[in-house]
Amino acid sequence: MKKIMNQPDQVVSEMLEGLEKINPQVRYIPGFEVIARRNREDKVGIVSGGGSGHEPAHAGYVGTGMLDAAVCGNVFASPSPDRILEGIQAADAGKGVLLIVKNYSGDIMNFEMAMELAKEEGTKLEMVVVKDDVAVPDSTFSTGRRGIAGTVFVHKIAGARAQEGASLEEVAAAARGAAEAVRSMGVALTSCTLPAVGTPGFALADDEMEVGMGIHGEPGVEKTPVKTAQEIAQILVGRILEDYDYRGKETAVLINGLGATPWMELAILTREVDRLLAQEGVVPYRYLTGNFMTSLDMAGASLSLLELNEERKRLLDAPCDTLALKIGGRV
Amino acid sequence: MKEYTMTPSGYVAYLEAVSRRIRENKDYVTQLDAATGDGDHWANLNSGFEKVLQKKDSMKQMTFQQLFRSCGMDLMSGVGGSSGVLYGSAYLAAAKAAAQMETLDVAGLSQVLSAELEAIMARGNAKPGFKTMIDPLYQGTEAMKAALAEGKTDAEVLEALRNGAREGMEATAGMEAVRGRACYQADKGVGHLDPGAVTMYYQLDLLAACMKEGGEADA
Repeated sequence: MKKIMNQPDQVVSEMLEGLEKINPQVRYIPGFEVIARRNREDKVGIVSGGGSGHEPAHAGYVGTGMLDAAVCGNVFASPSPDRILEGIQAADAGKGVLLIVKNYSGDIMNFEMAMELAKEEGTKLEMVVVKDDVAVPDSTFSTGRRGIAGTVFVHKIAGARAQEGASLEEVAAAARGAAEAVRSMGVALTSCTLPAVGTPGFALADDEMEVGMGIHGEPGVEKTPVKTAQEIAQILVGRILEDYDYRGKETAVLINGLGATPWMELAILTREVDRLLAQEGVVPYRYLTGNFMTSLDMAGASLSLLELNEERKRLLDAPCDTLALKIGGRV
Repeated sequence: MKEYTMTPSGYVAYLEAVSRRIRENKDYVTQLDAATGDGDHWANLNSGFEKVLQKKDSMKQMTFQQLFRSCGMDLMSGVGGSSGVLYGSAYLAAAKAAAQMETLDVAGLSQVLSAELEAIMARGNAKPGFKTMIDPLYQGTEAMKAALAEGKTDAEVLEALRNGAREGMEATAGMEAVRGRACYQADKGVGHLDPGAVTMYYQLDLLAACMKEGGEADA
């Protein structure tokens, strides 16, 4: 293992101390591993979180127009309820808080517990669970589909709706609508190495890739010989369209690197996806290509599609200013 | 026929006995966990109970409701992970069940354990037979309820709790894991005791012993 780090058990806190230096908009709450906006606005608060190792998710999305707080667990482990409660309190301006959670058993348990504790203290809360990964119906970490990179769209839509001054119910409805209209699927070209473990989590031969692998390296659909960008795009677009019909619809497209994928390859994949979407009659409205939700040093990529309507177009185009996503208006 | 009760300060003595038993079984629990899990169960649970006991002096002055809530919050953050949130949920449910209890008698204990069992099953979305901490708690609680319904003496009811808990713990060796790390293994952990069930058994075994001895069992 070669990593730029000090002690493996300090990676999360040291990362967040660094993040606070990069982004003066946010503050780090040590001990609770929460990143929160310094300037608490008079609006519904948006909180997301989960295990670390998926950077820039989730702390990179804290800022104007997206999240008010992100709660970070240890690498690939859910944050505990007391940390989540701290994040809720940091985001609560008295208008209620929306929790955006990816569908993993540990995250669900811990966020539900935190929600009960916060409700006892009188905070109004809603929770939206994202399960966008079409690869497997159940997984080693989830009952039902996993939540992956499509969650970034849900952050954006919910954050923009809250920024407009909408009520908690309205923000939750927008987030839920987005969560229902997003689908994702990924391929991994290599495994990833946890800082505290030091060796890759599973074996993929030099000429192999795994279709539908999870963002913690959990098993996907099948291992196959590595394919061309065009063939990979066919697999991803094909599997997603089998599950949700985006044909004839304006669609936001997110091409996500898993951590060790060069931007060149993500741009090539974007080209191939765009050609296929055109053939299928899907209408791409906006591309987001980059590293949005990673798996440490895994090579590979995922594709997420979000069906748009007038509201979602407006919310997607609304300005946001975070470390990991800045949107200045319509493309 | 002797009736057994426990005060909050007796419960604190029980928690100290639990912490001691966990400490003494470090190698055994870690070895079980290495076979089927992450290998971190012992360390997590040990640090959780140490955190709980940092407040032992103030806990002796609390009501059962306050004491259980304090345990729940400290186990949640001190143990961490799935076990932390499950123990946290259990103790917060126990706090609600014990709202009116000044002392804990055997019938009250049965209510508290039932509330804990329900909370763990709901939070973990799990049932008896999944090879988890639920198995000793379920069998112990059921055996205790049956003994109470039959009008057994307090000593017999506590013995039923103890035996049921042990049987539930031992039965996990033959079960296939449905939740947790062991379910990803090819053999689903069959042939191995579940370490979470073993540490749950320690707690129930000591609870029965401490009730009998007014909170000062040292097993």
